[in-house]
Amino acid sequence: MWREFATVVRREYLKWARVPIWVGSYFIIPFVYLLLFGQAFNLDRLFPAGAGNAGLHTALLGAPDYFSYFTAGMIGFVILTASLYAGTGVLFDKQLGIQSRMSASPAPRSALFAGSLVFRSMMAMWPAFLAIAFGLVFDRIPGLVGLDVNGSVSALGVAEIVLAAFLLSVMFTALFLAFGYALDKNESYFGLTSLLNLPILFTSNAMFPQSTMPSWLQTIAAYNPVSLAVNVVRENLFATVGYAYGPGEYLLGLALWAGLLIAVALGVAARELRAK
Amino acid sequence: MSETIAAEALGKRFTGGVDAVRDVTLTVREAEIYGFLGPNGAGKTTTTSMLTTLLRPTHGRAEVAGFDVGERPEAVRRRIGLVFQRSTADADLTGRENLEIAAGLCGISRAQARPRIRDLLDRMDLTEAADRYVRTYSGGMQRRLEVAVGTIHEPEVLFLDEPTLGLDPQGRAGFWRYIRDLRARDHVTIFLTTHYLDEADQLCDRLSVIDHGSLVASGVPSELKDRLGGDTIEVTSTDGPTDLTDVLRAVPGITSVARAGPVYRLKCHRGETLVSKIALAIHPSGAEVTSVVVRKPSLDEVFLELTGRAYREEGDTNGGAREPARASRRAG
Repeated sequence: MWREFATVVRREYLKWARVPIWVGSYFIIPFVYLLLFGQAFNLDRLFPAGAGNAGLHTALLGAPDYFSYFTAGMIGFVILTASLYAGTGVLFDKQLGIQSRMSASPAPRSALFAGSLVFRSMMAMWPAFLAIAFGLVFDRIPGLVGLDVNGSVSALGVAEIVLAAFLLSVMFTALFLAFGYALDKNESYFGLTSLLNLPILFTSNAMFPQSTMPSWLQTIAAYNPVSLAVNVVRENLFATVGYAYGPGEYLLGLALWAGLLIAVALGVAARELRAK
Repeated sequence: MSETIAAEALGKRFTGGVDAVRDVTLTVREAEIYGFLGPNGAGKTTTTSMLTTLLRPTHGRAEVAGFDVGERPEAVRRRIGLVFQRSTADADLTGRENLEIAAGLCGISRAQARPRIRDLLDRMDLTEAADRYVRTYSGGMQRRLEVAVGTIHEPEVLFLDEPTLGLDPQGRAGFWRYIRDLRARDHVTIFLTTHYLDEADQLCDRLSVIDHGSLVASGVPSELKDRLGGDTIEVTSTDGPTDLTDVLRAVPGITSVARAGPVYRLKCHRGETLVSKIALAIHPSGAEVTSVVVRKPSLDEVFLELTGRAYREEGDTNGGAREPARASRRAG
């Protein structure tokens, strides 16, 4: 079981490492999002703190400025983007007949699934940390706005952030892997993922404070896994006020989401890899 | 057990009620090269997929290497190797890496795999190309790598699905050598589906022909050919009005004569000894003979006889002339 699992991880790694654009895009995405989008889309400049705009700054729940708030939200944004293509490998393997070779091999089906899940979630996770790193670097560059950490970050806090990023990566990777297993056509896959991408993001608090949303959207945002992960990050980085729960509770929510989506994906993969 | 594959009334009905395979019964003995022939859509791949655990039979049963394919698929998978029609190697990986991955998926440790990979690369003449990306391989090299991948875990049975499709004649002959070597050295039982009847003739100890999901014949290639009743001589005469049927029938050794326009098909044994006699017999009539062709029975003809249609698209006009309606079914 372990050897077969490690073999699938190695295959995924070799395939990934040989495509420079793929590797490069994982570095570039968080950088570009923060540099271009983050610098331009700066609500602090549009609505400076002070009379009339107090509501916005209260809604940031203790984050020192909008860019810092946004950078923490970037974790959810980047992980979602990076995991969006997790199922393409399965889809192409199916089309190339490689899936049949894997199905005909004595490797346990769970190892085939788990190998892809683990490698692809790791790949989806680290661009999120790059986003934080870039935010911190930007903070030191004159002329750029950056991530200003005004909370006291403990080792436990760092562990909580890593765990939140991990759980979010695993659940999205599982979801998109399930699409890869379930669908046969590239068009269906890309159609479905692009259909889901922005709605998942916009029903979360990654970019906009939850309290500024209409109440029905607030309800959705409260349960959106992106919000849960971002809450864990913000509660640890900033001197926050007004969160309904602590990081532990949000992590529990994320774990439930991850468990659910992994179970669904495993079911879909098992059905697909089984003899019909 | 001397029977490595045993299928009993094996069948597959797909959802929608299509019977892709019905009632296939066959046995393949240990270390035998067994050919499985049939036109497109006859049920070859469906049968192979059931024997290799990729599809579940809807009726009947099959044992491969001593295990039931439906009840113990993982035990079967451990003992079989597959060579698919298309290359299933990762083009972005080297030949060696592909073999390492294949070994890992079979649970073989790196230390155990290393000498095995070296040996297979050597036997398949891929040692020099081992560390090149597979996308740079020729068609023949990819086929050989596929065999190496399929045999990495030293399977008892190797299933080859149209392994030489798209290879040139030289490449095919070379490939047969590797297959024979595999059987001779490793005692592997080989189940081969093919489109090429000469391949089955050259390579297989026994074979069966499947058509419309059912077996229509099984046996040793020479036996199947003998059933056709010996050689055929085709005599073409341009002198239409003169009927040479009686003249030809009178030649000693000719057992039957059938005429289709200017072409006479004669049945006989050892046809090559009758050519001069036929020419001498026709001469007095004054008819002009434009060609005399002696044809040894081939599996193509066996196939024509069994299914009423030509095996290949081109050439055999007899298939069309006999049963045009059936011949057209191939196109579908």
